[in-house]
Amino acid sequence: MRQTPRWTPRFVVIFAYLTLASLPFILALVRLQVVTGHTPIEAFWRFGGVYGASEALTFTLIEASASALLTIIIGLPIAWHLGRHEWRAAAWYRAIFSVPFVMPAIVAAMGFLLLIDNEGMLFALGLDFRTETGLIGEVAERTGWQHPGHFLALVFAHAWFNLSLMIRFVEPTLARLDPAWEEQLGLLAQGQTRLGRIRHLWWPVLGPAVLCAASLSFLFSFTSFALVKWLTPFNNTLESLMAKSGGSAGIENYRVDTSEIVMSASIVQCLILLAALYLTATLQQRHSSRFSLISESGARATRGPPHWKGRLIVYSGLIFAIAPMAAALLASFRVRHGTIGTGMSYQWSSAGWSAAWSGDLSTMGIGEALGHSLLYAVCTLCIALPTGWLLASTIHALELQNRPKLAKALDVATLLPLAVSAVMVGLGVLLGVLKWMPSLFQWDLLPVLPHVILTVPFVVRVMLPAMRSVEPKWSEQATVLNLSPLRSWYHGYFSFVRGPAVVASSLTVAFSMGEFGASWLLVRAGSWDTLSVVVDQLMSRPKFDPLVQPAAMAAASVLMMVTFVLFFLAERFRPEGDGGGF
Amino acid sequence: MKLSMTLMVLMLLATPLSGCLEQDATVDECTVLPPGHDDDGTLRILTYDITALSEQVTDEFTNQTSIPVEMIKVDDAGGILDQMMLTKAAQQADLMIGLDNTYLPTAIENCLLQPHTTSVANLSASASTFYDGPLAVPFDQGDVCLNYDEDALSEANISVPTHLSNLTEEQWKGKVAFPSPVSSSPGRAFLVATMEYFSHQSEGDAMTWWSAMIDNEAIITSGWTEAYETHYTGGYGEYTEGYIGDAWMTVSYCHSPGVEAYYSGNYTHSTSLMLEHANFHQVEYTGLINGAAQTEGAQLFMDYLLSEEINANMPENNLMYSVLEGYDLPETDGYRHHADVPNAVTTMSYEEIATNMETWLQSWKTTTQQA
Repeated sequence: MRQTPRWTPRFVVIFAYLTLASLPFILALVRLQVVTGHTPIEAFWRFGGVYGASEALTFTLIEASASALLTIIIGLPIAWHLGRHEWRAAAWYRAIFSVPFVMPAIVAAMGFLLLIDNEGMLFALGLDFRTETGLIGEVAERTGWQHPGHFLALVFAHAWFNLSLMIRFVEPTLARLDPAWEEQLGLLAQGQTRLGRIRHLWWPVLGPAVLCAASLSFLFSFTSFALVKWLTPFNNTLESLMAKSGGSAGIENYRVDTSEIVMSASIVQCLILLAALYLTATLQQRHSSRFSLISESGARATRGPPHWKGRLIVYSGLIFAIAPMAAALLASFRVRHGTIGTGMSYQWSSAGWSAAWSGDLSTMGIGEALGHSLLYAVCTLCIALPTGWLLASTIHALELQNRPKLAKALDVATLLPLAVSAVMVGLGVLLGVLKWMPSLFQWDLLPVLPHVILTVPFVVRVMLPAMRSVEPKWSEQATVLNLSPLRSWYHGYFSFVRGPAVVASSLTVAFSMGEFGASWLLVRAGSWDTLSVVVDQLMSRPKFDPLVQPAAMAAASVLMMVTFVLFFLAERFRPEGDGGGF
Repeated sequence: MKLSMTLMVLMLLATPLSGCLEQDATVDECTVLPPGHDDDGTLRILTYDITALSEQVTDEFTNQTSIPVEMIKVDDAGGILDQMMLTKAAQQADLMIGLDNTYLPTAIENCLLQPHTTSVANLSASASTFYDGPLAVPFDQGDVCLNYDEDALSEANISVPTHLSNLTEEQWKGKVAFPSPVSSSPGRAFLVATMEYFSHQSEGDAMTWWSAMIDNEAIITSGWTEAYETHYTGGYGEYTEGYIGDAWMTVSYCHSPGVEAYYSGNYTHSTSLMLEHANFHQVEYTGLINGAAQTEGAQLFMDYLLSEEINANMPENNLMYSVLEGYDLPETDGYRHHADVPNAVTTMSYEEIATNMETWLQSWKTTTQQA
């Protein structure tokens, strides 16, 4: 017998989380209404007249759509070949493809800048994305397209960032598809042509997964801030526009224009992202229901090892995934000698690492900053994992009780924090703490609060498909074994979702460590800087000192390596056929 | 349908809360506010990434006074004012360092600072002209002006501009980068400089010039860093990842070429455009925050900042001029030689800035948006 869930404590936690997740946005919205004198509906209609807003929205929609499309173009062939064949190092490959998704955006931006600058690999190949000479300049001149190099660099960076979404969603579906389906279709008239096979087999099987990954890619590209700031200096997304104005928003009788920008832009952004999230939740539900219990290893063995084309595509993908990170790691050892006047040269040296560890160039060494980052991450994990678990299990329990509308509403509600701008979260938390408990500002663990708000949706996204795949009869069978309730729960339920729980944990820790946006918006003393804050501080120093850049890249490399380790560990617990979710 | 329902729910939730979130009643007269945070013996300083405030400097202060120091860092001078305004009801820092003379009047008008007791007897005249009241003390100073790349002009065979209107000509199309006055303090300072400059010209006005500059594809960046490091060809941007190098001229300090030379072995191809009144004397201040908890530590730190120990190395450590009499830029590696000193400096009064700054910013925004 499956136990009836205890609804009261569940709903207390759910209510607490949803309040915590929505209150900052509401607080920020209310303050902005007080400052601007406009209701949210008025602010929505005034959007077109807000300084820079229309241009930012146009650019955001174009770059997010292009990024989602490029993610499909690059990611789908990789997922296809990775999922259909026997790869000896598949776990490693999946981990490598996963790491970009949790890289701090500033590290990703630096990696791409290193690749595209005048001494970078792509420049050597004749592709000048930065100063837009040669082929890119030619395109700009002939088409009248302003800064195509910057746009392409951004779109490729977003595709790099979101590559894991496509692989995590599509690859497991492919890996578990019974080869007999293909064989049977081949015997039918509809399976004689490639188009027919796509229409009758691949689109129904893969379509929801591809669209789900694409809609999430769109969402993350839409809210991009650091990559936009560094790679497309002539353009703004709605998020970067708000970030530039956010500092002075929400103050009465002062810079009302910035409050107008943030209020209008956040409402428009929220509505668009809610639509994208609703689509994501719907597609993921459909995607989950299409899973069938076919042995992954069996399906892979039938198709055998990859052929040369598959290897070429997957290895190219690996190079694409690794290149920006490798560039950052190499740059940490590359120290400039001389000056513009005397002539510059570069030498390989570990001086940047020494400077970064000793803290000569920053307020603290990276060892200490790493300690702070890990502490924040562990605290975030301790709250986000049980909360996300409870939310996911409640959604699933509602689904089992045949209450799909309530389950869907709760599912979409858990995603709400992803639709809210980090600027609004930061402003809302600041206003709430100021109003009710200013002493919290002196609490070193305050940044855990926005970290929890932002990571719980990912825990839900990982745990929910896993919980859906657990058969209720397994719990029932464990119950009759006369085990203690805890052992019964462990063997009949937890052992089946342990893998996704580890994946969710590693994702939470990695996100918390890389999180930067919400942390810096809070009023905090600098003695508790995290690693990602230290990277940003170092990058903003004047580069007269030749060790500034290598030290920043050393700090970024530590962050990358910790993330690598987390994902390799998580892969060990990943059950066969599980996509690892998101 | 569901989306609009969600929005409606948010709005309905928002409406009843609006009453409890309105800011406290406006303080008609500035009174010293009670501490906004607990005094745990630590001095909290609100500042941006001022290079002079290194760990070495704060450690030395702690050694001398046994008062630990923590920094709350924001992006720039504007960020300091924003943060103080936002947390006015419960200030989280004791001391601010870095508000300049384009922001100081707003801070004073909003009662964000309280009187200090720091001695200001040996301040230089240039530092104390703008404001010598009891609420803030100058910390460093410098003249904001246009810098240009001599090599680039020479290669393109372009004459050095003799009037700001020269920059609206075709040869300068897309070649000048300005940090936005809306979000950058050097940008604000240069906006004030253009107001002053055109007030001395027989024809033309500042906003018409700005409009013409936008038409001439001037590059507007959110901060000084992007303008100088990413776009300007004459500076140290070449050392920086992401350097584009598409602007021959930008806004910086008149002594920035000296800084370039100092760090590049007495070499620079950057110099300042010495047009009368097309510059602004910027003074950065430190002040005791109204609502500070550790006022004693804050006072001691202000004294420490004005000590000879700190000011003697101001040009090397903070890349700015000292505010004390008798200190100049060092001769080392051409620092002083390449640093330009304007003949006619814009010295707009406190009252003029206080009265007009918001109007100028609004006009600038309207002008550049319409251009």
